[in-house]
Order: sequence, then structure tokens, then C-alpha cells
Amino acid sequence: MITTQDRRFRLLQRAAQKCAAESGNLLDTLRGREDYQPEFEYFLDLIKEPTAAATERRSGRTAIRLLCIQAPLELIHAAGFQPFRVFSGSHAASALATQGIPALVCPLLRAVLGEMALDKANLSGHPWILPTTCDWVVKLPEMSALTGLPSLPEFHWMELPRLKNDGNSRKRWMDEIWRLKDFLEKTSRHAVTRTALLASIEAYGRAADAFQKLKTSRASGRLSPVWFLLVGNAFFLDAVENWTEQVNRLEKALFAPRVGQNRHARIFLAGSPLVFPNFKLPFLFEEAGLWVVADDLCSSERLFPGKTFIADTSVFGMLSTLAGRYHQGCLCPIFADNDRRINNILGRRPEADFRGVVFEVLKGCHPYDLESFTLEKGLKAQDLKFIRLETDYSPEDTRNLLTRLEAYRATLEEA
Amino acid sequence: MDLKIGLDIGSTAIKVVFTDGDNILWRGQSATRPGQESVSRALMGNGLAELGLAGEAIVNVSVTGYGKKLFGRPGAVADEISANAAGLFRLSGGKAGMIVNIGGQDMKVIFLDARGRLSDFRMNDKCAAGTGRFFELAARILDTSLEDFGELSRRAGKTLELNSTCAVFAESEIVSLLASGTPREEIIKALHASIARRASALIGKEMNHPIWLDGGPAQNPGLVEALEDELLTEVLVLEHPQYTVAYGAILVAR
Repeated sequence: MITTQDRRFRLLQRAAQKCAAESGNLLDTLRGREDYQPEFEYFLDLIKEPTAAATERRSGRTAIRLLCIQAPLELIHAAGFQPFRVFSGSHAASALATQGIPALVCPLLRAVLGEMALDKANLSGHPWILPTTCDWVVKLPEMSALTGLPSLPEFHWMELPRLKNDGNSRKRWMDEIWRLKDFLEKTSRHAVTRTALLASIEAYGRAADAFQKLKTSRASGRLSPVWFLLVGNAFFLDAVENWTEQVNRLEKALFAPRVGQNRHARIFLAGSPLVFPNFKLPFLFEEAGLWVVADDLCSSERLFPGKTFIADTSVFGMLSTLAGRYHQGCLCPIFADNDRRINNILGRRPEADFRGVVFEVLKGCHPYDLESFTLEKGLKAQDLKFIRLETDYSPEDTRNLLTRLEAYRATLEEA
Repeated sequence: MDLKIGLDIGSTAIKVVFTDGDNILWRGQSATRPGQESVSRALMGNGLAELGLAGEAIVNVSVTGYGKKLFGRPGAVADEISANAAGLFRLSGGKAGMIVNIGGQDMKVIFLDARGRLSDFRMNDKCAAGTGRFFELAARILDTSLEDFGELSRRAGKTLELNSTCAVFAESEIVSLLASGTPREEIIKALHASIARRASALIGKEMNHPIWLDGGPAQNPGLVEALEDELLTEVLVLEHPQYTVAYGAILVAR
């Protein structure tokens, strides 16, 4: 007799196969591209095995699971851990988490729940850091229980103040950073030293420098936006030093710009994060003749909002600087005072020379959805063409999206 | 002769237009079914036969629509929104400022600048509410030909309101109304009003006058009236609104 447990086991097996096929097909597509270079192989290998266990093996450090990037990576690194971002763009994984939670949960969190059910990333049984960013993140432990998953192991909340330009908020956030330091020290059983913190800040600074070169290569047409996104997605899957070395190696080996690339219209990409294997939009951009020259996605450019410049090298001084950068420097739409986002887009315009902004919203990602209306108004007033695309991880709206993107490209030509 | 062909491979119908310079020589359409390229070629063959022309006379074939990638070796490919804008601007004598196009699977609002260039657009996402597919679904439940919708809605006595704009929920609402004895004329009128509200929501606050309704459903005078009532303005329609995009494909490819 087949038991419920048997059926669940078979369901998970089928989902695991679908996830593997989804990822495998995309890796094959990437390897078969005309602009493939052997230097991409390192990043493809990381993406092939995006688990915490594999990351621990590669980096030689215990992984600390993160959902959002508000927790200073340098501090986690200085405590001897490997920051590991629990992210998923898998449609098959998101389809697994449907029962017991609202229908409109954002696909990213749904996919994370699906990955947890598969335990692909070995997510349960290790410390998590959860900044209170969007509502879905705050409710993750609850949704995890509702979908029948084992409750999250030890996790550390960071209460993120939703106001940036407020003295009290800054003070509260600074307290959270110190609480995080205490949590990390307690978990690792050794103190975060001044030397270790400084070394970590320098290591992430070198990573930011390397990524900056890739940004320039993408804008000049030497590196396609698809590959750029892949490199960014691979960031949390190895030690920062290894990743940086490989990014520098790739940047040096990139071919010269291809002639055909200048036929593409230059755009800025804003909105919800794009995560492997959800590369639906980047491929559609290419098909529609659009070239992302700059973006503000937290899965891409916003991984490195800028280099951290340290004037005061005491632990207090360094943590204060990091706290400011990760709070006031953040462009996430969950903040009430988020003028920086539109200012960032407009500020990038002269150097990146884009003619329009594509704003993509993951269905159910309400803060991004709301902010898209404000941005549309502000950017159109500055003569930038704007299009908002609301989508999820399923492929069924591909034709609809392409129709819109092709017409959008035509409006850029007319502008 | 400068024979050019515009081919619009849509989700529900394939439309073909033949032109010689500014003259439209022939129009034809066929329901979309698997093998879109052979259906398209057969349709073009019909046109050539009716005009007494040989295939060698064709200077160019421009393809647009959802199925444009399914047509091998086209002379040119155009995006359907730009094609719609160009086609309607030319056929309206340069008067169009805004187009509401209802296609098989989508609804589009297209804004044109004073020179007829595409300046902006809005389009529904993957929901079928307010699209041609929604009409087809309703026609099947009501057991009424789509061609009769306009006349029947004019005969409606009362003005009903459909609570749902979702195609799936509207279907069950129509079934319930029929079961409760509501005349189908009133249901059809309510359907038109529901689609007009949907279009109005997509348009938002911006309106460029005059407004043209385009696409196959634009042949339905009941829908035109409902849209005029909703938008509080005159809504114009070309003589053959289902062929505008195919015609525009030729213009965009030029």
C-alpha cells in the first residue's frame, strides 16, 4: 500500500528532477552561446552546485545563511564564516511550495521554501540571519512551518529600521550590527578582531573593484548582460578571494566588443532580483535587441553598492561605517525614504548613456510594485522611456513579454 | 507592380494584406491552427490566385504577430505594436492619437505622437480578461455568433453589471445569469461594458484624441458604444480593423 509519506517522497523526487533539468538546460544553453569563453567555466561550475554544503567545501568555512544583503558580509566573513545567500529562481522549486500559504507569495520566497523542502541547499540545521526587510521575509519562518517544513534552525533577526534619514533609526541599526557581532562571536566561539575585520573589508573591497571592471565591460559591450548576471549570482558560492581572482581573470580575457552589439538599445534595469535559473527576462532582452548597461538589482550591481572607505580603523569605527553603508546606502524599496533609488538611476545616466528604464516586478513583490509607479512618473519627467513588467518564474508569459519588449525598443528608437 | 505582403500571425487568426504602393489590393484571413507557416502560405496563395498573380511578383513579405518566428525566411519582421501604430495612422489619414487594440490574447493601448510615431503603450499581462478569447468563451456559453453580439446588445432592456472581469469567474457568472432566466441580450451588453471598463483601467488618466478601436472585436458596434459610454468620448473604427496590423507590418518594414 502506498502511504502519504511514499507519495510525498515521489513528489519531491519529481521536483528534484525538474529542478535539475531546469538548471542543466540553462547551463547547456549558456555553454552553447556564441560568446562563451572558457573563463566562464568557473562560474558555471559554481552555479551547477549552488548548495551550502558545496560552498562550505569550496570556501573551507561554515556557511551562514542569509536572505537579504543588509547584514554586513564583511562582519560575517571576519567572524570566520562564509556568507551564503539563500536564493532561488527555480520555477520547479517554487511550484513545490503551494499548499498552506497565500497564493500571492512572491516566487522568490516560494522557490526558497521549495528548495528547503528538497533540502537541496542543506538549509536546515545551520544558522540563518534574517533582516526584517519585506513582509514575505519576516513571515518566512511562519511559512516554513505552514508548508510542513521543519522549523528553521537557529536564526538571528536583525530589525531593520524602515527610515534611513533619521538619527534614531541609524542608532537602532547600529545596535543591530553590534547584536549581530555578538551572535556571530557566540556562534563561532571566538571574537571578531580588528585585524580580521579590516582584512575582510579589504577582501570585499577587492571584490568590488573587480566587479566594477565587469560593469564597465558590460556597458562597453565586451560582456553580455546575461553573463554579467551569472557572475553576480555566483558571488555567494565560493570564498570571496577565489571569486575575485576569477572575475579578474575573466575580465582580462574578455573579447573585444562584437560589431552587432551596437545595434542594441541601451537600457537600465531596475526592480526585483533576478536569480538563476530564472534568466527568462535577460534572454528576452537580448531577443528584443535591448542591452542592459546598468542595473540596481540586489542580485547584480547592488551586491557591491560601492567600496567601503575606512577612516577610523577601530572596531567601532569600522562597524559604524559598515552600518551606514548597508543601511543608508541601500536602495531596497522597503524603505519609506528612498529617493536614492531614482537619484541613482538619473545619476548613472550620463556615464552609462541609457535611453530607457525597464522595471521588472516579481508578482507578489509589493514594495517594488508600489515604487514602480513613483519611478515611472519621475523618470518619464526626465524624458526616459519606462516600461514595467510584472512576471513570475513560469515561462507562460514569454510571448507577451517579448511583444512588449520589442515595442518598447521601438519607442527607444523613436525617442 | 510593387507587390508587398503584410502577414499578421496572431493567436486566434492569421491575417494577410497585399499592397501595391499605397493601394490595398487584397485582404484575407484564416483561423490560427498548428502549422502556421503553411496556413499563411496557403492564404497568400489564395490572394495571388484571386489577383491572377504569380509568386515571383512578390517584392517582400513582412511578418508580425505572436507567431512571427514560426514563418521561415520572411523579408522583414516587425513588432505588432509598432505595426499597429503605423498602420492605423496611415489608414486614418494621419488622425489617430490613441489606439485600443483588442487581440486574441491581449489588450493594448497604444499612444502615438503627432507624427504618428509610437510614443508609449500599455498591455495586459497573461490574464485573458477583456481579450478576444474572453468574447469567444462568452459566445460559446451563450450559443450565439460573435457577429450578432452588436445587434443583440442594442436590444437589451435593462443594464446589468457583470461582477467579474476575470474570464474564468465571468464564465460561471454568465452560466448563473442564464440559469436565472436573464435574457442573453442583457448579458451581452453587460459583457461589453465589462470589457470597456477593463480598457478604461488600462488607459488610465492619459487620453490622446481621437481614440480608435482596432482588432477583430472592433467590428462589434456594441463594444464601440460601450467604450464610448465608458470613456465619454467618440471612438472611431476603420472599415477593416482586423487587418490594420498586417498592413502596418509593410509600413514598418519600409
